[in-house]
Amino acid sequence: MKKILAILMAGVLTATAFAGCGGGGESSNTNSGSSSKSGESSATGVNASTVDYAYFGNEDNVKLKVWAPDAAVNLVKKQIEEFKKTYSEKKFDITVIAQGESDAATQMLNDASAAADVFSLPSDQLNKLVDAGVIAPVAKGFTDFVTTSNSEDTVKAGTISDTLYAYPETNDNGYYMVYDNTVVTDEDAKTLEGTLAACKKAGKKFIFDAGDGFYACTFAFTAGAKIDGFEEDGITQKFVEYDEDAAVKTLQAFAKLIKDYKGTFTSLNVKNVASGFKNGTCGAGIDGSWDTKVNKESLGDKFGAAKLPTINVDGEDKQLVSMFGYKYIGVNGSSKFPNSAQILALYLSGEECQKQRTEELGWGPSNVNVQKDKVVTESPVLNAIKAQAENSCTQVNIASTFWTPMGNLGNKLVADEWKPDDADATRKLLQDTIKNVRDEG
Amino acid sequence: MTYVEYKQLNPFQRFAHNFKKFILNIPHALASFFKAIGKAIVGFFTGIGKGFKNYGVTFVKGDWATKLSYLIFGFGDIHKGKYYKGILFFLTEVLYALYMIFFGWTYLQKFNTLGTDVTKQGYNDLGMPVTEYGDNSMLILLYSVLSIVITILVFAVYIANIKDAYHHQVMRAEGGKPTSLKHDVKEFLDGKYHITLLSFPTLMIGIFNIMPMLFMILIAFTNYDQQHLPPGTLFTWVGFDNFSSLFNFVDSATKATTFIELTKWTLIWAVVATFTNYILGMVVALMINKKGIKFKALWRTLFVIAIAVPQFVSLLLMNQMLQTNGAINILLSYFNGGVNPQIQFLNSTTLMARLTVIIVNLWVGIPYTILSMSGILMNIPEDLYESARIDGASPVKTFTKITLPYMIFVTTPQLITQFVGNINNFNVIFLLTGGGPSTEQFYQAGRTDILVTWLFNLTMGSQDYGLAAAIGILVFIVCATLSLLIYNNSKSMKDEEAFS
Repeated sequence: MKKILAILMAGVLTATAFAGCGGGGESSNTNSGSSSKSGESSATGVNASTVDYAYFGNEDNVKLKVWAPDAAVNLVKKQIEEFKKTYSEKKFDITVIAQGESDAATQMLNDASAAADVFSLPSDQLNKLVDAGVIAPVAKGFTDFVTTSNSEDTVKAGTISDTLYAYPETNDNGYYMVYDNTVVTDEDAKTLEGTLAACKKAGKKFIFDAGDGFYACTFAFTAGAKIDGFEEDGITQKFVEYDEDAAVKTLQAFAKLIKDYKGTFTSLNVKNVASGFKNGTCGAGIDGSWDTKVNKESLGDKFGAAKLPTINVDGEDKQLVSMFGYKYIGVNGSSKFPNSAQILALYLSGEECQKQRTEELGWGPSNVNVQKDKVVTESPVLNAIKAQAENSCTQVNIASTFWTPMGNLGNKLVADEWKPDDADATRKLLQDTIKNVRDEG
Repeated sequence: MTYVEYKQLNPFQRFAHNFKKFILNIPHALASFFKAIGKAIVGFFTGIGKGFKNYGVTFVKGDWATKLSYLIFGFGDIHKGKYYKGILFFLTEVLYALYMIFFGWTYLQKFNTLGTDVTKQGYNDLGMPVTEYGDNSMLILLYSVLSIVITILVFAVYIANIKDAYHHQVMRAEGGKPTSLKHDVKEFLDGKYHITLLSFPTLMIGIFNIMPMLFMILIAFTNYDQQHLPPGTLFTWVGFDNFSSLFNFVDSATKATTFIELTKWTLIWAVVATFTNYILGMVVALMINKKGIKFKALWRTLFVIAIAVPQFVSLLLMNQMLQTNGAINILLSYFNGGVNPQIQFLNSTTLMARLTVIIVNLWVGIPYTILSMSGILMNIPEDLYESARIDGASPVKTFTKITLPYMIFVTTPQLITQFVGNINNFNVIFLLTGGGPSTEQFYQAGRTDILVTWLFNLTMGSQDYGLAAAIGILVFIVCATLSLLIYNNSKSMKDEEAFS
C-alpha cells in the first residue's frame, strides 16, 4: 500500500507540477508578447476595416477559433478566406464553429479559456460578459472608426461605462409579423384583430411564441411596463412608470382576443411558422429576422412582412411594443492572439462583410453605409423591422431574471383556464411578474 | 402484538400494522444511524490520538536515522539498506516541496478570502486591449482543493515513511534484512494483488469523482452567482447563506417557496413514478408469463422494443405529440367533429401536466420492469407452486404467498435505485415539459420542475452556482437518508438467506 501510494503520488505530483508550469509559462508569454512590441509603432486611428500590419505586433502563426450562428457559418468561412488573402504576409489557422448566439455568453462564462477568440453575441448578454471580465473591449485605435461607421444606437448599446466593448454586427435583432398575403391583406395586417379574423376565416393559424420571454415581453411592454436598463445597483431591472389600471386593461384585451380566437391564435415555437407556411396551416406569425430566409422560401410570392400590429383596448388602437436588440462581434479577453482577434473582429464587422450578410442572409446591417444601400431600403422585411424598432425596448442591460417571469406571463395569458374578465387576477399576475423580474423576495 | 394475533389480521390491517411499525421504527433507525456516525467519529479521533502516540513513541525509540526520517523522507530506509523505497519517499518530499513552492501555495494562501486582486482591462501602446489578470476565485478554490488533497496524501506518505523506517530499524536489530525490489514487486502479484488491481480505479475515482465533489461542496458555501463571476468579479465565502435562503420565508420568500414546493413534488413524483412503473410492469410481466399464454417470446419482444428507441428521443417525440397542434390533439379532433380540441397537456393546469408526465413515464419505464420481472418470475422454483397447488391454494393465495414475497425480496434494492433515480430523473421532466406550466410563484422553476431540473435552470440560466450547489447537497442528503432507511429495513438486508 505504502509503496504503490508513493509511486502514484510521485506520478500525480509530476503531472500537476508540469501542468502548473505549463499554465504559468503560457500566460507570461502572452504578457511579454503584448508588451514587447511597445516600441514598434505608435497607434493612430484606422479608417477602414483593414489595418496596417503593425497592429499585429509580433503575432504570427495565428490560431483563432470563431463562433458563428449556424446559418452564417458558411458565409463566415468565406469571409475568413478573404481575410487571410488580405493579410497574406501572416499565417493563419482559423476554425469556424457553429454556436448559437443566445448560448455564446453562457459558454464564455463557463470556461472562457476554452471558448472562441471571436464570437457573435446579442446585445443583452454584453453586460454579463463585461461584469465577468471575459470580453475584451474594442481596441482604442479602432474605436473612432467603429463608432462613426456604425449607427448611433448600436454603438450606444455596446458601450458600458464609456467603453465600447464589442463590434456592432447587425441592427435587426427583433421580430416582426410575417404573413401569407393571400390570407391576410396588408390592410388586415395593421391590426391584431384584423389579422386574427383573416386567419380564422381561412381556417389557418396565427403563431406567436407566448411561452418564450423574448416574445412574451411584448404583452408587458405593450401594456406600458417597459424596461429602462438597471437600477443603480447594476443588477435589478428598472421599469418605467406606468399606469397599472391601463396595463391591466391591455393585458385583459390580449387575453380576450386569445380566448376569442382559440384555435387560431396558437402559442408555438417560431420554427412552426416556416413549416406552417409550407404546409398551408399557418396564415401569419410573429417571427424574427433570422428566419426571414426560410419564411421567404416557404411562401415565395405570397410573402408579406409588416411591423407588429395594433391591438384595440377600449376603442383605442395600441401599437404592440417589442424587444429589439442588436448583435455584436466580441473578442475573448483571454485570447492567446489578442491583436489578431481584434483585427479579425474589425474585419468581420466591416462594411463589406455586413453587406454580404445582408445580401445572403437578409440580416439588417448596423453599418451606416450599408443601411443606405438599396438592398436594405428596398427590402420589405428590413423596413418592417425598422418600423418596429421605433416601437420597441432596447435589448440591452437585461437582468438574467427577466426571461422566465415574462415567459410565464405569456403562458398564463394563453392558458385555457385563464379568465380574461378577472381584472384582479390579471393585476396580481402583472405585479408578480414585475416582482420576479426584479428578483424581490 | 403476538404472532397469533398478527396472523388473525386481514391483509389491510397487516399492511397498516407493518406500515405503522415502519414509521415508528424511523426514529429508532435514525437514532442508530446517528449513533453509528458518532461511533465512527469517536473511532476516528481515537485513531488520530493513537497515531499521535505512535508518532511520539517511535521518535523516542528510533535511532538517529529514524529520527532524521521525521524531517527527510526515506532517510531511515536508505540507512537500513532499503534503497528504492527510501528514494521514492525522498522524491515524494522533493516533488511536494516543489509543487507547493511554485504552484500550490500561490493559490492556497488566498484560500481564506478566495482572492482580492480584481482583473483589470488596460491597453498597450498599439491601443490593443490587454487584460491584466488578478485573482480568479474559481481557480483559487480549485487548486486549493487539489493542494489540500495532495497534502493529505503526502502526509499519509510521511507517516508511512516513519513507520517504515522504524520497522526496518527493528528488523535490523533483530538481524533481519530488508526485502529486495524484485521481491516486493512480486508481492504485488501475490499477497498484495488487491492493491495492484484496485489502485488504478481508486485513483480515477479520486480524480474524477471525489475531488470535483469536494470542489462542488465548497461552492455551496460561497456567493458564486451572476453578480460574482470571476475573473471580472470575485466571489467569497458566505457560510450557510445559500442554505438558509432556501428556508427563509421572510427575506427570500420566493426561493424558499420554490424549494419547499419542488421538494414536495419531487418526492410525490419519485414515489408515484417508481411504484406505478413497478406495479404495472409486474402486472404485464405476470400476464405474459401466465401459463397457457401463447407466443410469449413475441409479446415480450414487442414490449421490450420500446427500449430500442433511446429514451430522450421518445420523450422529445412525446413532447411534440402533446403540443396543441400535435398528433394527440389531431387524433382527438376526429372524435370532436373535426375540430381540434386544443388541449394544453403540458402548459395549462398543474394537475394535467403532472398526470401527463407520470403517464408518459409509464410508457418509458414499464418495458424495463417487464424485462427484469420476467427474469425473476422464470426463476421462482416450480416446486413451490406445485406443493401450493397440492395443498389446494387458490391462485390469489399463491400470488400473495409465493410470487409477491419472492419478487419484493429480490427487487427491493432495485426499487431503491429506481426511487433515487426518479428523484434525479432529469430526462423525463426536462425533455417532456421543460418544467412547465410556468408560474410566477417560483424562482426560475415551473410546476413540474423537480429539484435537479431546478438546479439545472439555476446553473445554466441564472448562474446561481452557489445556490445550486447547496440544493445538490440537500438532494444528496435526502437520497442517502431515504435509501439507507429503506434498505436497512428491507428483508433483503435483514434476511439474506431467505430464498436461497
